[in-house]
Amino acid sequence: MPDAPSRVERVLNLLALLLDTRRALTREEIVHDVAGYPSQITAYRRAFERDKETLRGMGVPLTTEPIGDGSELGYRVRPEDYYLPDLGLDAEEAAALRVAVSAVSLGSHAGEGALLKLGGLADEAVAPIASLPIAPALATLFEAFRARAVVRFTHRDRVRTVEPWGLSSKRGHWYVVGFDRDREAVRAFRADRIEGDVELGEPDAFETPPDFRPDDHVESRAWLLGDDPAVTVRVRVDADHRDAMLEELGTDAVVEDDGNHDGGAVIEMAITNRAAFRTFVLGFLEHAEVLDPPEIRADLISWLERAAAGAAAAGA
Amino acid sequence: MSPRALAGPEIQRILALVPWIVAHPGSPKHEIAARFGLTVEQLDEDLLLVLMIGVPPYSPGDYLDVDDDEGNVTIRLAEYFRRPLRLTPAEGLALLAAGRALLAVPGSDPDGPLATALAKLEDALELPGLVVDVGEPGQLAAIRDAVAGHRRVEIEYLSAGRDELTTRRIDPEVVFFATGEWYVGAYCHRARDERMFRVDRIRSVEPTGETFEPGATGFETGDVYTPRADDTRVTLELAPAAAWVAEAYPTEAVTERADGSLEIVLAVSERAWLERLLLRLGPDARAVAPEEIEPLAAHAAQRILRRYRDSEGSDGPAARRRDTRSRGRA
Repeated sequence: MPDAPSRVERVLNLLALLLDTRRALTREEIVHDVAGYPSQITAYRRAFERDKETLRGMGVPLTTEPIGDGSELGYRVRPEDYYLPDLGLDAEEAAALRVAVSAVSLGSHAGEGALLKLGGLADEAVAPIASLPIAPALATLFEAFRARAVVRFTHRDRVRTVEPWGLSSKRGHWYVVGFDRDREAVRAFRADRIEGDVELGEPDAFETPPDFRPDDHVESRAWLLGDDPAVTVRVRVDADHRDAMLEELGTDAVVEDDGNHDGGAVIEMAITNRAAFRTFVLGFLEHAEVLDPPEIRADLISWLERAAAGAAAAGA
Repeated sequence: MSPRALAGPEIQRILALVPWIVAHPGSPKHEIAARFGLTVEQLDEDLLLVLMIGVPPYSPGDYLDVDDDEGNVTIRLAEYFRRPLRLTPAEGLALLAAGRALLAVPGSDPDGPLATALAKLEDALELPGLVVDVGEPGQLAAIRDAVAGHRRVEIEYLSAGRDELTTRRIDPEVVFFATGEWYVGAYCHRARDERMFRVDRIRSVEPTGETFEPGATGFETGDVYTPRADDTRVTLELAPAAAWVAEAYPTEAVTERADGSLEIVLAVSERAWLERLLLRLGPDARAVAPEEIEPLAAHAAQRILRRYRDSEGSDGPAARRRDTRSRGRA
């Protein structure tokens, strides 16, 4: 062939060699055999580094091991680590996975990448029925969960050390649920609130309790996601807004008739996050009112007074 | 741009393509191209590249052999590429997440091919299970039936933005789950326009006996809120603590100041929505323009405070008897 081999061709031939070889090969053996590497030493070393990075970035299990008297490094790819096992999917099952990837939008192309490996994409696009964006941290957390490796990450400005016991999606958010080693308790963390990288520890570092259900620990009600002292509050809500409030509260709110015979209600709820509770109750504007305890009612009134004073300052 | 970004997708496609053709000798090119999202011309280019793959000593028998028999392709001598590359963690997660999410949609067959496919996937790849919950608001089934049957329905809807209960005839076109809620996109006969409704705010669904011709609306599934030309544009000043607002809502302009505060322009269709946002942000946000929205949060706060003052009677707030005359149904 007259043309110099393209980069794609070089990387494919590198991978073919590394998969085919019975022993680890040195960099010099590799660049000598595979067409397309520059002849100058710094240039071929740099090109080889780039190719290794490309292969590893795609998930190729490229291993290094000392060879000969141990003074040199050898490279290879073990076929048993490279090959996707046969999943034994029948035609209907493969089609069902294609529909799922098409119907659920995750905000990445990883699903399509997986489908290509499983033998192809959907025959025709299906209208998406659900959107559940996956935060970048989630793939690393998933790998840690699979490998039973302890993770460290920063969440709401605090570094957490967590045994990931499960991943769960609720109300459109993904959570990692597990044992928080510092707080010595099961906690759920929203994956999109994790800042920066997730550090992975050694595999097989813990056992997940066999009957563990991550969704039992995921709290989607923001007013229960906090470390404020637990308080039970009573809120009066107008008739037209009663159902909407109850729907948000879920099953454990205590409801009593407010005695006015107009369909309104007094609702009792526990809170551990005062700021989130304020947002919740302000969402109902003048159709809801905090009754007690007095300090929570006073908190809200003073928040409103400051907001009301804004108008005076603005000259309204 | 990193070299990975340049070469990665092409390499990954070829590494998926070769094992499939090896396992399905003599497949027609147009079928292969369709499976892998390619045109036949692009497939031909990939196949030319495949011909160049070999192992030492690179004698003719050491290269992959591509046989194109009148458009039917066979690949031989690809021993080392006989299986695709294993899934990356992100790919495994994406398959399971998509599958579990679709299975969680009410009405999915819990024992159907998707469920068995996911079980095989988890087994063979030793992937752990995921738990996905997309909820099921009371009227979801009725709305999905109406979408599927192109049936015009009458709904009672509690509008969050306008803060009132209304009755509307709608032609529901699409239903989907996004940002943690179920939505239905419909033509609304009351508004004489397209509207997006939150399914959990639909109080009832009644059939009208009429059907409609689908396709009249241009909803992109997943567009929960699309600014409209006649929405009010408001300018807000946000302290750094409230900078998340710029990410969370479709802002039309963002200006960052030296002190880290932001000035954003937001399209707003409902006054009550903006009141809630501003009240929630409190001192971290200030409405700047247009002039008439400057006192919006303050006026809303005064309205709510009036309720609190009214209830500070001699019997205390809990025992207060409320004046209901002013608060009938809208």
